[in-house]
Amino acid sequence: MEIRVNPTRMELNRLKKRLSMARRGHKLLKDKQDELIRQFILLVRKNKELRERIEQELAGAFAEFLLARAVMPLEVLEEALMYPTRDFALSVHKQNIMSVYVPRFSWQEKTAEQGDAGIYPYGFVDTSAELDISIETLSGIMPELLELAQLEKAVELLAAEIEKTRRRVNALEHVLIPKIEETIRYIAMKLDENERGALTRLMKIKDVVRAKT
Amino acid sequence: MTLARDTSFAYAVGRIRALETRLLDRSKLERMIDAASADEAIKILAETDYGSAVAELAAVHDFEEILQREMALTLAELEKMSPQKDLIALMRLRYDVLNLKILLKAKYLQVKAELLLPLGTVPLSTLQAMVDEERFRDLPGPLRSALDRIMEEFPLTRDPQMIDLALDRVLFEQLMAEAARLQSPFLKGLFARQIDLINLKTFIRVKRMERDRDFFKKAVLPGGRLPLDRLISLFDEPLDALHGQLSRTDYATLIEEGVRGWMEKGSSALLEKLADDYITTYLQRGKRSAFGPEPLIGYLWAKEIEVKNIRLILVGKINKLSADAIRERLRDVYL
Repeated sequence: MEIRVNPTRMELNRLKKRLSMARRGHKLLKDKQDELIRQFILLVRKNKELRERIEQELAGAFAEFLLARAVMPLEVLEEALMYPTRDFALSVHKQNIMSVYVPRFSWQEKTAEQGDAGIYPYGFVDTSAELDISIETLSGIMPELLELAQLEKAVELLAAEIEKTRRRVNALEHVLIPKIEETIRYIAMKLDENERGALTRLMKIKDVVRAKT
Repeated sequence: MTLARDTSFAYAVGRIRALETRLLDRSKLERMIDAASADEAIKILAETDYGSAVAELAAVHDFEEILQREMALTLAELEKMSPQKDLIALMRLRYDVLNLKILLKAKYLQVKAELLLPLGTVPLSTLQAMVDEERFRDLPGPLRSALDRIMEEFPLTRDPQMIDLALDRVLFEQLMAEAARLQSPFLKGLFARQIDLINLKTFIRVKRMERDRDFFKKAVLPGGRLPLDRLISLFDEPLDALHGQLSRTDYATLIEEGVRGWMEKGSSALLEKLADDYITTYLQRGKRSAFGPEPLIGYLWAKEIEVKNIRLILVGKINKLSADAIRERLRDVYL
C-alpha cells in the first residue's frame, strides 16, 4: 500500500522531508489532544457537579411550583406570572481554549425602569405564598442555569474538537506515517536494486572488455 | 337600598338547603385522595353532581373546565334564586377585577389575552373593548379612577405588581362600600375578615421578601378589623411580636399555628388552609339563618372551597403528589 511515485533519489529526499514533517505534526497533535483532554476532564467534572446541584434545586423548585399550582386556579396563576418584572440581557463573548472558541456569557438582570419592583410581579390577594417560595428559588437558580448552559456548550465543543484531533492523530499515526515509511523503503530498495544492476553491468562490461584484449 | 331582612329570601334559602346536601362531603374527598391515579379520582368525581361534566371531559388534564363550569353554574343559579341580584353581582366583582388585570397586562405586553374567566358581571367582550379603547366610563367609580391612574402611571414605572396591588385594593374598597350600602353587618364582617387574613399573610410574605415598611404600606388593604397602623408599626419588629399582639383577637390560634408551621416546614400551606377554614367557620354561623342572604353566600363559599379541594386533589393526583401533602392542604368542608 505504498504511494505511487517514481523511485528516484529526489523523490526519496522529498518523502523523507514529508516523513519528518508528519512525525512532528503527529507529536504536536498528540500534545494538543492530551491538553484538550485534560481541559475537557476539568470541565466535565465541574459540569457534572453543577448539573447535579441544579437538577436537585430545580426538582425542588418544580415541586414547590406544583404546590402553588395546586392551590391556585389556572387563570389566577397565569395572571400572576404573565408580566415579568425582570429583563435578562445576555451577551456572548468567545473564550479560546486550545484554539476552540467556547462561549462566555455575561448577563445583566434589568428591573423595571423605575420604581422598586421586586422579583414578584403579582399582588397578594389571590396568590399563594407557596408561589413566592418557588419564584424565589427559580430566580436564584437563573445565574447557575446560565453558567451550566455555558459549561455544557464548552464541553460539547471541546468534545467535538477532541474527536477531530483524535482522527487526525490516528490518520497520521496509522495511515500516513506507515505509508510514507513503506514508500521510502520501496524507493530505497529500488535504488539499491538499480545500483546493484549498474554494478553487475559494469562488472560484466569489464569482463567482456578484458576478454577482448 | 338595603338588604331585605324579611321573608323574601325564604324561597332561596329553601333551595340552598336542598343544594347543600349535594355538596361533596369529606369522605368523598378522602376517597379521591386515596384513589390510585388521577383517572380513578375522576371516576369518583363522576359519581357526584359533577357526573355530567365529567362525562364530557376529553382528558384528565382539562379538569379546570369542569371546575370553571361548576362555578359559572353555581353563580347563575344563585343569581336566579336570589331576590337581590346585586348581591351575587357583588360576589362576581372579583372575577371582573381578575379579567381586568389579565387584559391590562396583555395590553402592555402587546399580546392577546387568553384564559379569561367568564364569571364576572361585565361580558368579556365589553371588558376587552373597554381596555382597548381605554374608556372605563361604565365601571363603578372607584374602579374607574383606579384604572385611570394605572393607565397614567404604568407606562412610567412598568411595574406589573402595581396593577395587581391597585386593583386588589380597589376591589376590597368596593366590596366594603357595597356591604355598607346594603347595610349588611354579615357581609361587612365577611369582607373585613377576608381583608384581615389577606393582610396577615401579606405581612409575613412581605417580611420574607425582605421588602421594607413602605412597600408593606402599599400592599396592605384598608378596611379590616385589625387597625392598619398597628400592623404597619409592627412590621419592623420580629415576627414573634405578631402573635403576641394578636393574642387577644380571634386570629390568635390561626396565626400561632400557621406561622409556626411556616417557620418549621418552610411552607405557608397550613396558614393558608387555616385562613380558609376560618372564613368557613364564620359563614357556618350564618348557615341556619332562614331569612337572610347568609346561606346563599355560605353556599357560594362552600362551592369555592369544594372547587379548590377538587383542584388540589386532581393536580396532586396527576403529578403524583403524596396523599399527605394533599391532605395537609385540604380545606375543611362547609357541611
